[in-house]
Amino acid sequence: MQYSNECQLQIRLLTKQEIYSVPDVPVSVPSNIDPKALNQLLNELLKESSADFLKPKDFDFLAVGELIRLTLLEHLQERNVSTESTIDVEYIERTPAPEPEDSILHDDWVSSIQCTDKWILSGCYDNSVNIWTSHGKPVVSVKDHSEMVKGVTWIDRNDVSKGFVSVSHDQTGVIWEWVEGSEQMIPKVQLRGHERGIDCVSVSPNSATLATGGWDTNLKLWSASLNADDTGEPSSKRLRGARGIFTRVPLHTLKGHKEDISSVNWTDNHTVCTASMDHTIKFWDCELNGIKNEIVDQKAFLSSSWSTLSNTLLAASADRNIRLYDPRSTEGSICKSMFTSHVLWVTCVTWSKYNEHLFLSGSYDSTVKMWDTRSPKAPLYNLRGHEGQVLTVDWSNNKYLMSGGTDNSINIFKNKHVLH
Amino acid sequence: MGKLEKPQKRKLDKTTVKERDLNNIEDTEDSEEEDFFKDQIKEDDSSDSEADIDESEIDESDNENYESSEEESEENPDDVSSAEGSENEEDDEQDELSDNKEDETSEEEAQIGDKHEGTKQDKNKYKSKDKAQVEKHKAKTEVKVQTSEAISDKIEGSKSLVTTNEYEDHDTSDEEDIRNTTGNIPKNWYDEYKHLGYDWDGNKIIKPETGDHLDEFLKRMEDPDFWRTVKDPQTGQNVILSDEDINLIKRIKAQKIPDVSFDEYAPWIEWFTSEVEKMPIRSFPEHKRSFLPSRTEAKKVSKLVHALKMGWIKTREEREKLRAKKEPQFYMLWSTDDQAEDMRRIHKHISAPKRLLPGHAESYNPPPEYIFDAKEMKDWNKQKNTPWKRKLHFVPQKYESLRRVPAYPRYIKERFLRCLDLYLCPRAIKMKLSIEPESLVPKLPSPRDLQPFPNTLAIEYKGHTDMVRSISTDKTGQYLLSGSDDCTVKIWEVNTGRCLKTIQTDSVVRCVEWCPNAALSLILVATGNDVLIINPGVGDFLVTGKTDDVLKEVPQSDVVVSERVKTTVQWCEPEEKLYERGVRMHLKHFKMVTQVTWHGKGDYFGCVMPDGQSRSVLISQISKRKSQLPFAKSKGLVQSILFHPTKPFLFVATQRHVRIYDLIKQAQVKKLLTNSKWISTMAIHPGGDNLLVGTYDRKMLWFDLDLSTKPYQTLRLHGTAVRGVAFHKRYPLFASGSDDRNLIISHGMVYNDLLQNPLIVPLKRLQDHQAFNDFGIFGVHFHPLQPWVFSSGADSTIKLYSN
Repeated sequence: MQYSNECQLQIRLLTKQEIYSVPDVPVSVPSNIDPKALNQLLNELLKESSADFLKPKDFDFLAVGELIRLTLLEHLQERNVSTESTIDVEYIERTPAPEPEDSILHDDWVSSIQCTDKWILSGCYDNSVNIWTSHGKPVVSVKDHSEMVKGVTWIDRNDVSKGFVSVSHDQTGVIWEWVEGSEQMIPKVQLRGHERGIDCVSVSPNSATLATGGWDTNLKLWSASLNADDTGEPSSKRLRGARGIFTRVPLHTLKGHKEDISSVNWTDNHTVCTASMDHTIKFWDCELNGIKNEIVDQKAFLSSSWSTLSNTLLAASADRNIRLYDPRSTEGSICKSMFTSHVLWVTCVTWSKYNEHLFLSGSYDSTVKMWDTRSPKAPLYNLRGHEGQVLTVDWSNNKYLMSGGTDNSINIFKNKHVLH
Repeated sequence: MGKLEKPQKRKLDKTTVKERDLNNIEDTEDSEEEDFFKDQIKEDDSSDSEADIDESEIDESDNENYESSEEESEENPDDVSSAEGSENEEDDEQDELSDNKEDETSEEEAQIGDKHEGTKQDKNKYKSKDKAQVEKHKAKTEVKVQTSEAISDKIEGSKSLVTTNEYEDHDTSDEEDIRNTTGNIPKNWYDEYKHLGYDWDGNKIIKPETGDHLDEFLKRMEDPDFWRTVKDPQTGQNVILSDEDINLIKRIKAQKIPDVSFDEYAPWIEWFTSEVEKMPIRSFPEHKRSFLPSRTEAKKVSKLVHALKMGWIKTREEREKLRAKKEPQFYMLWSTDDQAEDMRRIHKHISAPKRLLPGHAESYNPPPEYIFDAKEMKDWNKQKNTPWKRKLHFVPQKYESLRRVPAYPRYIKERFLRCLDLYLCPRAIKMKLSIEPESLVPKLPSPRDLQPFPNTLAIEYKGHTDMVRSISTDKTGQYLLSGSDDCTVKIWEVNTGRCLKTIQTDSVVRCVEWCPNAALSLILVATGNDVLIINPGVGDFLVTGKTDDVLKEVPQSDVVVSERVKTTVQWCEPEEKLYERGVRMHLKHFKMVTQVTWHGKGDYFGCVMPDGQSRSVLISQISKRKSQLPFAKSKGLVQSILFHPTKPFLFVATQRHVRIYDLIKQAQVKKLLTNSKWISTMAIHPGGDNLLVGTYDRKMLWFDLDLSTKPYQTLRLHGTAVRGVAFHKRYPLFASGSDDRNLIISHGMVYNDLLQNPLIVPLKRLQDHQAFNDFGIFGVHFHPLQPWVFSSGADSTIKLYSN
């Protein structure tokens, strides 16, 4: 080892970000160089190559497709890569550490969050659905459900006027109408059809269809329109008074799971992916109303997230690991990598909507972790602050990393990452 | 080839032989030389007239000799030496025939006289030419001179030259290279050296320089003779094959007879004919029996035989024997010393134990610490009456020298005692059975191979304020039910640990159980003397609503309830306050209820009142709101009851036994003997053939009901009383919790094959609960679908372990 520590490695520094490019010349570095030293080296090179590069920047370095977290030699040895040839080291601008921004306090556990550019929508265990400004100012809160709200989602995150959906353990979902900024939200359509509590809801990319899943093990598809459809009838006055709420029945009911559907995602406008406690992930074709594909694993799935950027699925099961599945791969294991750093169950994962490598996870060990898929051994950052279990995380607004948990609060971290 | 040819040659004329041989010479020399030879011959003819005359005489004689020698060699081809010996005049031919005899013949030649001198010199010259023949391309000019001289001499004077050439032609195979003296050895032995071998003078023959591939290529391009150039392995020189050689190779390749002159179609001569010839070709030596035996030898032999008979001559063996008799005889005195004593009647003799070797105390000059001081002496004297208690049987004494040591007075006595010991104490070999403890432990599979099983703490359910005695889950595994000493029943969401509902009761909750019927949303709660049937109001609203509707209709029955039952239990409609809490039925018992358990269908349930004497077990039916007391007589203090999952059997555990009753036949089926003092709890395998019994005396007993009424296995995994046991409904797992705070997960595989016994492997010990009042874990319950286990403890928490 001593000899190899002293030896030199030939590396070639590459980048996809043109503004930070350096001459494509192999550089000889000591093999025990770590990312910090690499960073120094790169900054020196950048200073030499361009005059307008003044402020030193932080970079992350990738070799063999994974982030270098140890010394370069150890990194290469771990992956059985020859150190004889010139090694291509790609560098990317480092994702800056998120900064704690705000904490929004609820009356009860926060079960679900989704935010747009300006507004935060949250569902709470005290049966309420809340809207907050992104600065944490309460706008409106309505307790219309009779049981805890388990899932909330905007129908169109770019157009809040299309309303939002909340699903609850009172076996119903509600589509709400809300005029942007107003202090009133009106339940327009009630989704009735589930026989047990609904756990999850997701809107199709074209905002036309809703998919819900719950403890009755059925996946149900609904129309997402705010207007009363032809089949809808005003529900009984006993429930909703004179506000003219419509009841809607599901377009389709897809049966196949044996236990609770804990998470539902749309992969495209016609395909829904569900993760269930029965140890399976199923892909459903909504036009043919059947199962397209199935992933079977050893543990009960608690959460999943589909990335349209990388077309892969992240799933958290009832253990400490987060698994990355590529359902398209036909050979070998479709579990591409496993992210292990949490110490208790991971209950929620969500992809960044803007970066195909980054995602966020929350666990019962009261930490939220920010990950890069190229660094499966260790997360990029640990976001602390929660005092109880983390139940939900959200990163649909690139600027804010949000997490809600059993300490009744939503913690907001600001993401300073600049998009290129 | 030679053998075939030779007889033919005999038939040829002398002239033809000469001609052919001359041609041969010419063929072997280069064509350039040919003319040169002829010139030389002419010159020699003209110049040496005297020599001509002399040699012509010799020629004639030689020619005569030649014919005769040819004939002889035909008859006796191998016997060269005899031909040489008989005909001295033919030494020319002999020279050519055998080089190794050269010296001898030359000596003989010297004796022949002056007449032959000239020829002999010529011969030698010629011979040297032969030797150098291989070199002819290398040193052409020299050879030319030599050969021209030699050949001119020969042709001038003698026809014998012709004969030598003839031999040379046919015998070259023996002497491929006359320069190299290494002989017929693999040439690669000289690969490492610079030389190839040794010439006649003992000098090294240096390897010629070999060119590289480029040289070779250039040679190939430039040298027109390259294709006919081969390397001589003996000399390492390149040899250009002559046309004759090429022709020879061609002929061999074409599978023709190599010799051009050989006539394949010559008339056939029958050598081995059946006709009796006057002069036979082959003659055998005469047989031995045709000789007469020697008379003198026969006389000698008869003399020897007579001497042997008379003993005058001794054979070697006899001599040995005689000598052995004369020498003194020795024998081993101690021959049996190192062998086991060979005794006739005693088998497996055990030798007497050896006396201990004398120590320092026995010495005539013992070290001072061995010599008794006053106290030791006193002790010695004190033990006078019990001498066997003494450490030593003598008093160590010091003497100035060995001379002064007196005779040991107790010698005879001690010898006698020793003999007495040996005589009176029979010796026997003790058979010892050695079993290693490891070999007694059965081979169990590794827990790693028996996954999945719960092994990590996942969620803690906190909210109770006192010991949690009992837990249960609904059928989907969504909700967890717990009853505690703080007089509350709580319903939890399993996945998050959220307490959804808290139902207050009036007394300590001892047992809770969720209704196994999915169509009914009911839980049984045993609290104090009461059993509450509660609709928890979680899960499907349709089911909860319907359950309420069903229970509202009070069934009317005209069956008279016996007084005995009436005094035991009273079915009451819940009060308003209780109804709001979810209580749908209220059963008031006359004694404290410690356990309630559902029948598999969810209509009947059983209660245990340990203090109820003969009325301690009560079975109630919800749909008819009726109860019955199955037993008329008390069999003991009832600890626990259990319904069989499929058959109409009821298991009743008293303090020491488990009795199995058939509820339809109303008879006892079996009585299980637990061999323990106090049973605490029971659990039945979902298959229904295996029962797990936990006892307060730290044991867990696994009964295979088909096998025996005695435990199939007794598991002593816990340090203190076992309070909770449970089977998983789907996975081959069971768990037990005890007061020592240990939750032990075990693998319990039951096979469908009746011949195969259940496999029981303890897998994991989980110790996360806190002790409280010497209590540890009370309730153990498996998740109905996942391989997870719940445990409720005296520390008022419930813990979920996941795989």
